[in-house]
Amino acid sequence: MKNKQVTFMLVGLSFLLMLGFSAQALAGETYPIALSLAITGPTSDVGSPYSKGVEDYCKYVNDEKLLGDDKLECFIRDDGYKTEVTKRNFEDFLDEKIVFYLNYSTGSTMAMRKDFDEEKIPTLPASFHAGNLVDSTYVFLPISSYSSQAVGLAEYVAANHKGSGKPKVALFLHPSAFGRAPRDDVKKAIAAGLNIDLVEIVEHGKDLDNTAMLQRFKSKGVQYVISQTVQPPVATMLKGAQSLGMIAKTYGEAGKITFLGCHYAGGPDLIGLAGSAAENYYWTTSYKLMTAPGPGTDAQLALAKRYGRDEKVAQSQNYTNGIMVVQVAVEAMRRAKTKGKKVTRASLYEEMLAMNGYNAFYPLTTVGPVTFSKTDREGVDTLQLYVAKDGVFHELGLPFASEYVKKIK
Amino acid sequence: MAENRWLATGNFFTSYRAEQRIFLTNIDRLVFTCFLLLLFVWPLVFEVSNKYMLVIDTILIAIVAVYGLNLLTGFAGLISIGHAAFVGVGAYTLATFARILGSDHVLLTHYWPLMILLAGGVGAVIGAIVGLPSLRLKHLYLVIATLSFQMIFQWTINFSRFYDQGQTIAIGRVFWFAGKVTRKQHYFFWYYVILLVVVVLGFAVRNLLRSKHGRCLVAVRDNDRAADAMGIHPGFTKVYAFALSGFFAGVAGALHAYLWRGVGFESFTLHHSISYLAMAIVGGLGTLVGSFFGPVAILMLELQVENIAEFVGHYFTAIGDVATAFRPLSFGLVIVLFLMFEPRGIANWWRITRTYFKLWPFRY
Repeated sequence: MKNKQVTFMLVGLSFLLMLGFSAQALAGETYPIALSLAITGPTSDVGSPYSKGVEDYCKYVNDEKLLGDDKLECFIRDDGYKTEVTKRNFEDFLDEKIVFYLNYSTGSTMAMRKDFDEEKIPTLPASFHAGNLVDSTYVFLPISSYSSQAVGLAEYVAANHKGSGKPKVALFLHPSAFGRAPRDDVKKAIAAGLNIDLVEIVEHGKDLDNTAMLQRFKSKGVQYVISQTVQPPVATMLKGAQSLGMIAKTYGEAGKITFLGCHYAGGPDLIGLAGSAAENYYWTTSYKLMTAPGPGTDAQLALAKRYGRDEKVAQSQNYTNGIMVVQVAVEAMRRAKTKGKKVTRASLYEEMLAMNGYNAFYPLTTVGPVTFSKTDREGVDTLQLYVAKDGVFHELGLPFASEYVKKIK
Repeated sequence: MAENRWLATGNFFTSYRAEQRIFLTNIDRLVFTCFLLLLFVWPLVFEVSNKYMLVIDTILIAIVAVYGLNLLTGFAGLISIGHAAFVGVGAYTLATFARILGSDHVLLTHYWPLMILLAGGVGAVIGAIVGLPSLRLKHLYLVIATLSFQMIFQWTINFSRFYDQGQTIAIGRVFWFAGKVTRKQHYFFWYYVILLVVVVLGFAVRNLLRSKHGRCLVAVRDNDRAADAMGIHPGFTKVYAFALSGFFAGVAGALHAYLWRGVGFESFTLHHSISYLAMAIVGGLGTLVGSFFGPVAILMLELQVENIAEFVGHYFTAIGDVATAFRPLSFGLVIVLFLMFEPRGIANWWRITRTYFKLWPFRY
């Protein structure tokens, strides 16, 4: 009798254990990914909406079961734009066994390239510095590099200049690795035949008044200023230029200056900061803007609404940026799963490199497909030019790719 | 009556030699030995994540740097707000080798103890040069001179192509008897190396302060004219204090470069100089134990403030700027509060605690 009871109990226990294991199997796997960025401190105006984009899209993936029964676990930490804190966060994330990493600043990406390589972890930073790809194999840029953007703008200037002679251009740069990123490539493009005259390169400080610099530009006959920095210094410069009556009302207006900028030097937030001084500001990015309705932008607005984001965040291109990097990571996971591979750093890396040709990824949040290969780790290769009119950025022409960047590579 | 080396409840020195002992009682020696043993053994017993090992290693490096600042400001009375630049000099000594010979050159990877010493030497030379104005300048004017050095250092690195305009210059992984230190071993390896440096340099400072070379620093601080009258050369002593401080800072810089496997400009800014000064003040200026307490207190505070700022920044987006301001605010507040209410720093709390246990069960 006692033996029977024991046997019965053992069978019952085995059944419970099996049920437990199968329930665990049915619950699917969890794929941890992580992001360290500046939610506070310098560039937090970019970092804050960026983190919201990552957070919301991760929630969306889980809520909509985009990975089937598997879940995405997303760790987001503030690093205050300090490389030391980023590194500390990264070490912490590694303890969480992350399979994909999203980094932020140029400085930290450059400093941690070797760590990414040693850990063999695919990394998508928010920095588009082409230098991130040098001496590294696991860093991927989501969109065209700052060099492609700045050289692309310079090409646009050269092609559309209305006056006689070479257009006189000045570069307005952030005083950091991020700002200096395209400087040398613009020079190389000029050496390769790009028809512009680079008059001055300015690394801005924290000045609240740019009158002296703008007057100097005027005295040197600068006609175009290309900015590679964040929005606040551009807004300060534009306001100064407006008060001095220097802003060109039409592209290339004689005797005035036409202002242009790369991804982080523009966008809807710039209009909020600079007001009417942002009118006729030319800006390039690979992201679609909310002002250009389409399936991608509609989905972004719906996402922001779903997770209770305010209008400012919903309209921000940095929110789009955050969404897009998770889209790429999730797509790599989805493809690995479809092929029956286990989702690991190695399989995700393979899938990232295979994202080209017919396998290119179309996230709808960008103006072109995301393509990566062993020889090309810049994601979206095309850029869209936007111009600010009546307080809104509008598309100008079709997406383009920089020709000279290919020549100088 | 022979003095009891175990249960001394007061100062019963019968000779100058007795007063100069490193450990005043055997209990002190025993507690110190146990504590040291604990520091060497605990990583083998407990599993600590790399994140926290990195924090601990950083604290230990800060202790080495604060040794130097404490000698300069606490013992010699020469205020410096360019200490991070001296630390940077040590780090950039390694970066110079990395730029010329390559980050994985055998000099950097195999002869790293020599490189650390060399960085200290370069720090000492630069320290002596920067200390030259102290022959003519005092107090606030000297502060401005050290601030100038900080600015010159930042400007030089930031605009120098050779140093990649402050971008991180990689330093290769080091080798030791068991081969290359792998990524897994990295933080533990450097924990032991830095701990050893902290202990050796700690004893060096303690011994220095027992010698005439250490006492002359204090004499010049207290009254340089009186020191001069007693045969101490105030000018030389001041330059020597700067050189000494530069040596410790240089060693700390080299350790920093090896630990972080790279040298980047942003680790040696004015903000870091003020941090070091805060560590020395909060720990207790002019005390050796203050050099331990200060870095622990300030860096742990920074960690906690970071967590609060992150929480506020993440969940209360509208007041993101307030979150950004948390760090400098908390930092400034701690310095001001210590200067107002406990100018002798945490070292004084340590002294009070020790005295209590020394006299226990009696109150005095």
